[in-house]
Amino acid sequence: MKPIIELNDVHFRYPGTKEHVLNGATLSIELGEFLAVIGGNGSGKTTLCKTFNGLIPNYYTGDFSGTIKVDGADVSQMTVSEMSFRVGYVYQDYENQLMRPTVLDDVSFAPLNFGDPDFMEKALWALETLGIEHLKDQSIWQLSGGQKHLAAIAGVLALDPQILIIDEPVAQLDPHHAKEIYKRLKVLQEEYGKTIIVIEHHTEFIADFCTDVLLVDKGQVLWKHPVRQGLLQIDDLLKRDIFPPQVTQAALHCDLALDAYNFPITIEDGQTYFRGLEFIKRERESESLTQENEAIASLEDLSFSAKTLSNERKTILNKISTSFHAGERIALVGTNGAGKTSLMKCLTGMSKPTSGGGFIGEHSFQKGSLEKLSKGVSYIFQNPEEMFIQDSIKNDLTFFSHSRDQDDSSFIDKLIRSFRLEEVLEKDGRLLSGGQQRRASMAIGLATNPTLLMLDEPTASLDVQSRKELIEILQEMDSVATVLVATHDMQLVAEWATRVIVMEQGEVTFDGTPREMFEYGHVWKRAGLVPPQIVQLSIELGMRPAALSVDEFTSRIKEGIPHGVC
Amino acid sequence: MEFVERFKKSFNIEWVKLELLKTAYGKKETYMGQLDPRVIMIWYLIVSLLPWFTFNFVILIGLAIYTSALALITRVSPLIIFLLAIGVIGELGYIFLVVFFMGGDFEAYASLVTLTLKIIIMSIASIAAFASMDPEKLSDALLSFGVPAQFSFAVSYGYRMLPILMDEYQQIIQSFRLRGKAPEKAGFLKWKLVYYYVVIVIKAFYPMMLNTAKRTRTTVEALEVRGFSYSLYSEEAKKQKLSHLKIKGKEYQFIAASAVILTIIHVAGHLYYI
Repeated sequence: MKPIIELNDVHFRYPGTKEHVLNGATLSIELGEFLAVIGGNGSGKTTLCKTFNGLIPNYYTGDFSGTIKVDGADVSQMTVSEMSFRVGYVYQDYENQLMRPTVLDDVSFAPLNFGDPDFMEKALWALETLGIEHLKDQSIWQLSGGQKHLAAIAGVLALDPQILIIDEPVAQLDPHHAKEIYKRLKVLQEEYGKTIIVIEHHTEFIADFCTDVLLVDKGQVLWKHPVRQGLLQIDDLLKRDIFPPQVTQAALHCDLALDAYNFPITIEDGQTYFRGLEFIKRERESESLTQENEAIASLEDLSFSAKTLSNERKTILNKISTSFHAGERIALVGTNGAGKTSLMKCLTGMSKPTSGGGFIGEHSFQKGSLEKLSKGVSYIFQNPEEMFIQDSIKNDLTFFSHSRDQDDSSFIDKLIRSFRLEEVLEKDGRLLSGGQQRRASMAIGLATNPTLLMLDEPTASLDVQSRKELIEILQEMDSVATVLVATHDMQLVAEWATRVIVMEQGEVTFDGTPREMFEYGHVWKRAGLVPPQIVQLSIELGMRPAALSVDEFTSRIKEGIPHGVC
Repeated sequence: MEFVERFKKSFNIEWVKLELLKTAYGKKETYMGQLDPRVIMIWYLIVSLLPWFTFNFVILIGLAIYTSALALITRVSPLIIFLLAIGVIGELGYIFLVVFFMGGDFEAYASLVTLTLKIIIMSIASIAAFASMDPEKLSDALLSFGVPAQFSFAVSYGYRMLPILMDEYQQIIQSFRLRGKAPEKAGFLKWKLVYYYVVIVIKAFYPMMLNTAKRTRTTVEALEVRGFSYSLYSEEAKKQKLSHLKIKGKEYQFIAASAVILTIIHVAGHLYYI
């Protein structure tokens, strides 16, 4: 196979900075690969990928040395526009890449800019290839997150480039849609012979779809291996806070030396690997919902509808009745558009229920104003930037108490310590890293001292380490407030929640423990959810009830040599 | 009280947002919406200039009726009409006050009303024209008149950003409200409450601008990658972009009808001069 991308000793420093981001990167990528680029935070993954399409060194004119060859051409001699016929780039914040009001306009934007008379055919071809031609006349802003992402991919595909680079394709999507995106990418690689490069840290997806893995560290390419070999360099991965797939972790932690040279990386592998093992049963009764505590909020037939552009009323929440109790950890799950955010907005008073309602403390959802309800409820926006309304984290934290002339300094100090915000106190929230932003936004939400804390997609687009920290913080929240989390992150549901509410088209279709939910296949399948890998593996292995975490899985393996192995 | 409740339910920020979006993006199936945008632009230029060449009251009234009729058939959003009406009523009241206190007579009032009428005609014509063009058409029309591509793109990009900015703005206002504290006593005519909201509405602008500024970094890079700067100097790209603009039977009909109506108005004006 001939290499399509070759880098030789590439160094690069962004203008105005002191440190080199790339420190002698050397690599070669072959035609038709599906390559995952992995690495810790700030290792230079994104910068590396921006050399492939010539943004570096042609758009960012920093301190550059080395050679980049793409498809035989020297990148530094070509313009960014010329390169875009060879390399398509989809950003992590793909929404900002969409320029035009409707999907078809946007997808035809690039071919049109280059004056291609067949621009319409090319745009339609790209839409068809990705299976979204039915969206062509929709307005961009009406699309869901997953659809927008596909539109962004179609927009670069329309130039029919040989190479597609996608920065964190699944960071903001629910697992179902994430898988959908990967499946389409796989088709592009297998049927159209494209070279696909993704920056990814979800090793489960890498194991299922990629052919090769490349590890970036401190601006250098540490190694590039075929996917299986790469994912089994476990020490290298863990050192950079990248966790191998859950099935691999299970095999690692399991005391039985089943087959140390053939660790599983996918669920299918896992099934063969763990075949014949017997598992300790678990008493189910021990885990029923603990609703003895007093109810802090109750909802009765809460409905909400909103007007659409075509002047029709659309029911978003349909007669929701439930109650939340002190000390519960509640996960609210369902696909995009199931009504999770709308429900939370009704509970904060940002939206008024159209009928029905309920109470939190003495305040009614229907009659109480947002200002009154916010005494007991705190809502943390999905985008942390919307929580930063002052010019420093410190002012944001004290905004609530200042506007009430209270002195909460000891409480605020405690928050600052437990969220480790000492260093960023004087900074503007917008300038922090993703993990810091999330921590800061949670502290700001807690500074209002709520009885019900609501978080909207707290783990979306967090790197693995920040995500781990966040879950640790959530674990300690029980004593402070009842926590309601809307999330797509099923691993968070399995490992953190004590109660899970499944929503589907504005209705609650399930309310129980996570264990029960994963037990009832029809519940999560119908709601478009995908359980964590370890739960899927347990189900496939006939483990009842399924294990929710890797630790539980390994601790429930029965001692003794299993039959079926050796 | 019942009325206030109902009013609050149907006229809130959500409604304003929806109306603006409808104006920008709603289906353009109206008569004017199907015409070539260049024809509409030229029509708009002529109709909004005509009133300034005359003091003839009949012609002005005729033009006002003509443009209003066209605005009616383009089904302009009630919000826009409401805003225009407020402007006009305010203007008339203000003129009346000025004339009254400066000791002028009806003559003075009438001449100022003529001025207002001219402005009204312009406003209605612009509503009829711009409400029936979506941002894409407008931007293509500008491009074909030789306006630089950067500018015509900015127009359509602005529309694309509009809903995002509005969402962002609304959420930040809510963030202020969630963590702030509304005054407990509303005061005379609720002035304290009104003042509280006005302050929030102003303060919310800063975070919104900062958040948006941060996002545009990707946008600028992506524009480069998607060949926008290439298209600025490419004649071929411009030709392809405008290839869908065509003047056909419908457009000729519209031009002819407009010419006839405008002539009739002017002839009538000279015959029945007041």
